[in-house]
Amino acid sequence: MTYPTMPAIIRFDHATVTVRDKTILSGISFTLRLGEKAVLCGKSGSGKSTVLKTLLGLQGLTGGSIFFQEKPLDAVTIQAVRRQTAYIGQEPVLGADTVRDALLLPFQFKAHRGHKPTDGQLKAVLAQLHLPAAILDQESGRISGGEKQRVALARGLLLGKNLYLLDEVTSALDSESKQAVFAVFADPKLTVLSVAHDPEWLERCDRVLALEEGRLTQEACHGHA
Amino acid sequence: MDTLDIALPQMAVLYGLCLAPWLLLWLIGLRLSRDIVISILRMGVQLALVGFYLKTLFSLNEPWLNALWILVMLAVADLSILQRAGLKLRFFVLPTFIAIALSTLFATFYLVVLVIQPPHFYDARYIVPLAGMILGNCLQGNVIALERFYSTLRKNEQEYMTFLLLGATRWEAVRPYYRVAVKAAVSPSIASMSTMGLVSLPGMMTGQILGGSEPWVAVKYQIAIMICIFTSTTLACVINLKLSLRNAFNAYDVLKDEVMELRK
Repeated sequence: MTYPTMPAIIRFDHATVTVRDKTILSGISFTLRLGEKAVLCGKSGSGKSTVLKTLLGLQGLTGGSIFFQEKPLDAVTIQAVRRQTAYIGQEPVLGADTVRDALLLPFQFKAHRGHKPTDGQLKAVLAQLHLPAAILDQESGRISGGEKQRVALARGLLLGKNLYLLDEVTSALDSESKQAVFAVFADPKLTVLSVAHDPEWLERCDRVLALEEGRLTQEACHGHA
Repeated sequence: MDTLDIALPQMAVLYGLCLAPWLLLWLIGLRLSRDIVISILRMGVQLALVGFYLKTLFSLNEPWLNALWILVMLAVADLSILQRAGLKLRFFVLPTFIAIALSTLFATFYLVVLVIQPPHFYDARYIVPLAGMILGNCLQGNVIALERFYSTLRKNEQEYMTFLLLGATRWEAVRPYYRVAVKAAVSPSIASMSTMGLVSLPGMMTGQILGGSEPWVAVKYQIAIMICIFTSTTLACVINLKLSLRNAFNAYDVLKDEVMELRK
């Protein structure tokens, strides 16, 4: 599927990152439109995770620009990015003792106060991701890496996030759980920028952005599955 | 009743007591002779200077001189806190100074003006030693608060960033570490109040009794100083950490790499 008429969500314009004289990203330019699913691939150290970090404001640019919904990324727009974005890494931090507390954590913050989901809503989103309701009362430190990733994903869905930055999110999942995650991201309203090596994930993405030593070397389009 | 003075030959006898721990340390293989000698010499020289200063300060009893002395104490405490907490001066020198100055001056003047009520509130005999005791304890608390806060934050940076990405403001995201740090800083002061008189006889009270005060007067002064220490330490830590947040983070709420000194 192509999205030329959809509004741009993210635009990297010659984004460059240099840390202690080492170039991590070198003049990266690409646009991600609403609903698109893109995957960054490349060898370890090619700069894939840095692309995600720069977008979240965790790593500053030394050259070029990043635009979010056509506004340059700055101290004000970063708040909008963080409000709308869910980042799920390989070993997500849940930040609470139990899974239930982890899912409800963001609703303690002023930005989401008053929108606390019901138990029924929690269970529904867990079921969507192939997680049993009993996981709610488990200690978050004792669940597997794949379960943590799906709990983090569930938290993003509960918050109504529409941009997902995913770092190897299917790497620790069995086939059924993976299908459940694919089904979630089949939603055309969700935009995804991911880092992955999983061939099945790559196949389901609209675009593959290949990185090599901080440069965008190749951009391929797939038919959407 | 005047306190008995310790004559110089008796001072020499006193220093002789150090031979016992020195010998013990040497026997168990700890070679600390240099550190022990330097520390004992420094203590002697520093206290002699303080004794000289205090004698002058008390005899002149000029408000501006007393204020200047307190200012010097605050500046030294400020530098000492940051050095011991391993934090860079350029980010923290001002917030720490403001926090310890506000809290120490508030507690000292509260005690002197509203409680002790000497003929002149600026009387060096009261404000200089009381401010010094309050500030000394405040210093310990602030070292613990700053060190604990920034090291815990650095250690839990992923968790902190997760909170931000879940919609927390900078203040909401640092609050768990803020609470831990303030608790660690004020706990010794709370514990010290609860065991006072049972575990040890406090230094100020002992000093006053040796100086000829009635035990009841010494007890009341001890209670007063403990309450002021607890108040000023809590105030200083809460204000200091809150003020420091403005300088320690970049515009994207990320803790700056360069705020902490590299530990050797």
